[in-house]
Amino acid sequence: MTWLSNDLVQRLRDVATRPELASDRYVILRPIGRGGMGSVYAAHDEQLGREVAIKVSNGAAPTDDLDRRLRQEARVLARLEHPGIVPVHDAGLLEDGRWFYVMKLVRGETLADHAVSLEHEAARLVVFERVAETVAFAHAAGIVHRDLKPSNVMVGQFGEVLVLDWGVARVLAGDAPSPSGTEPTQGQGRRSASGEDGGWRGTASGTRMGTSGFMAPEQAHGDSSNAGPPADVYALGALLFWMWTGVAASTDVDDTARRLRAAIPAPSKRLAAIIRKCLSPVPSDRYASATELVDDLARYRRGSAVSAYHETTIEQVGRWLIRYQTFVWLVIAYLVMRVAFAFLR
Amino acid sequence: MIPFPATRRSVIERIRADDADIRRAAFGDLAAGYWRPSYHYLRLHWRLAPEAAEDVVQAFFTAAFEKRYVERYDPAKAKFRTFLRTCLDRFVQNTQKAERAEKRGGGADRLSLDFPGAESALAEIASCDLRDLDRFFRDEMIRALFERAVDDLRRACEQSGNSTLFRVFERHDLAPAPDVSYASLARELDVTVSQVTNYLHAARRRFRELALGHLRSLCGTDEEFRLEARELFGMEVDS
Repeated sequence: MTWLSNDLVQRLRDVATRPELASDRYVILRPIGRGGMGSVYAAHDEQLGREVAIKVSNGAAPTDDLDRRLRQEARVLARLEHPGIVPVHDAGLLEDGRWFYVMKLVRGETLADHAVSLEHEAARLVVFERVAETVAFAHAAGIVHRDLKPSNVMVGQFGEVLVLDWGVARVLAGDAPSPSGTEPTQGQGRRSASGEDGGWRGTASGTRMGTSGFMAPEQAHGDSSNAGPPADVYALGALLFWMWTGVAASTDVDDTARRLRAAIPAPSKRLAAIIRKCLSPVPSDRYASATELVDDLARYRRGSAVSAYHETTIEQVGRWLIRYQTFVWLVIAYLVMRVAFAFLR
Repeated sequence: MIPFPATRRSVIERIRADDADIRRAAFGDLAAGYWRPSYHYLRLHWRLAPEAAEDVVQAFFTAAFEKRYVERYDPAKAKFRTFLRTCLDRFVQNTQKAERAEKRGGGADRLSLDFPGAESALAEIASCDLRDLDRFFRDEMIRALFERAVDDLRRACEQSGNSTLFRVFERHDLAPAPDVSYASLARELDVTVSQVTNYLHAARRRFRELALGHLRSLCGTDEEFRLEARELFGMEVDS
């Protein structure tokens, strides 16, 4: 009998699962990641002489649900041209009929690993705002991600922030506005959740999609088919909550508030209110879309009043003083000098 | 999804069959898939001498067939592999207690197993981490599974007169030279580069099918097979 070393056993596992590309344009180099839906391989594009990433589904037939989701993901990505979304270069069929798509090879680490290096509020908010802006862009294009979590955010070597894994994204029915430059091309128009367009469809009612701790309550209760932008807003709030507390959010609002107060460093009252608003169990109590959240965060960063927090007059004055502290100090200095001159005269 | 291997029912289904031939064949598969993981487990975990480990392996599979205790497997409690290892542990304990290992299996047909080959392979796996015994046993099972699949593939290629297919697989995947490439293989075997890639795809697919076929015969239930196949090849198999 043939004797196989440990290395050879591993090699055979790799080659036996390696996607078989019909074309010789791409040469698979190595596996680089594996999720529930698909596996990603580093490959060399022989035509353009560059490294790319190739994603294939873990199912092995074109009829498989995993393959259908991969197709949906490729189409969603192709439709969303944004710096926060990995660009799709190409797509095709494997020898066995499954789909694959080729995308930019991103070098970096997931937010799950990167977060420890984000010590200060400003650094955390820079990364978070890029995620929220990307999701806001998707919402404007009529697409809901539905599985936002730290491991689905990649921070590249040069600080670029990318939102990954759009495999369970929902394409909203109706005429959602399309951001400039992303108008769908013919034959690739907006999909409905009815199963049109080559089986590209949403999820059936009762299907639970997402990740516990980052999933909106309506998704957790199996209502993924109706999860709209507020579901992503919840997940963004959970992401923000996790960046401050290090733990996933719970649906208990009191527990959320307590954990935010106990976080070291604790978020400011206004930021905590933004997080709590995102994490509201009732979708209508959250921001209606990621765009509203981005706007509120921008106001927070500017030192303006945020919609999530009702300030007292003293707090308003305090915030005003901090926001215009340079001007306040100049006025104080001027007054002190006037008093000093008057006294000396 | 990958189709469920059609030719093999689960080992438990076949072991519980009334037909003696089906039972015997099932035990043949069981022994073929698990004897070497068992032998290495006995040598490294139980620290049995080579001869003692040989005797226990022979006696264990003989007793498993004769006393039908494998039939008591309950899929709700553990994977079949774990159940079998637990049976082996108990068997060794009983054997040691009774101090009559050499008498067990006496008179029964001895299985034709390559113990010298298993012994010579021991050197490489001696450094394996034995703290997680289930994982060790699983890794050894996979090794044995792949070895059988490679041998089957070689045999099938020889029988069908398609030795080039196996040679491509061997040169590229099994024993690759450091500078091997599709082009170098094409030159060496006097075929085109696209033929090399076609051969390689076909060989890998066939290897995977053979490995899944053997895996199917070593799992207690369909569900266990699905889980094992997903873990092994990262793919779903359909029923």
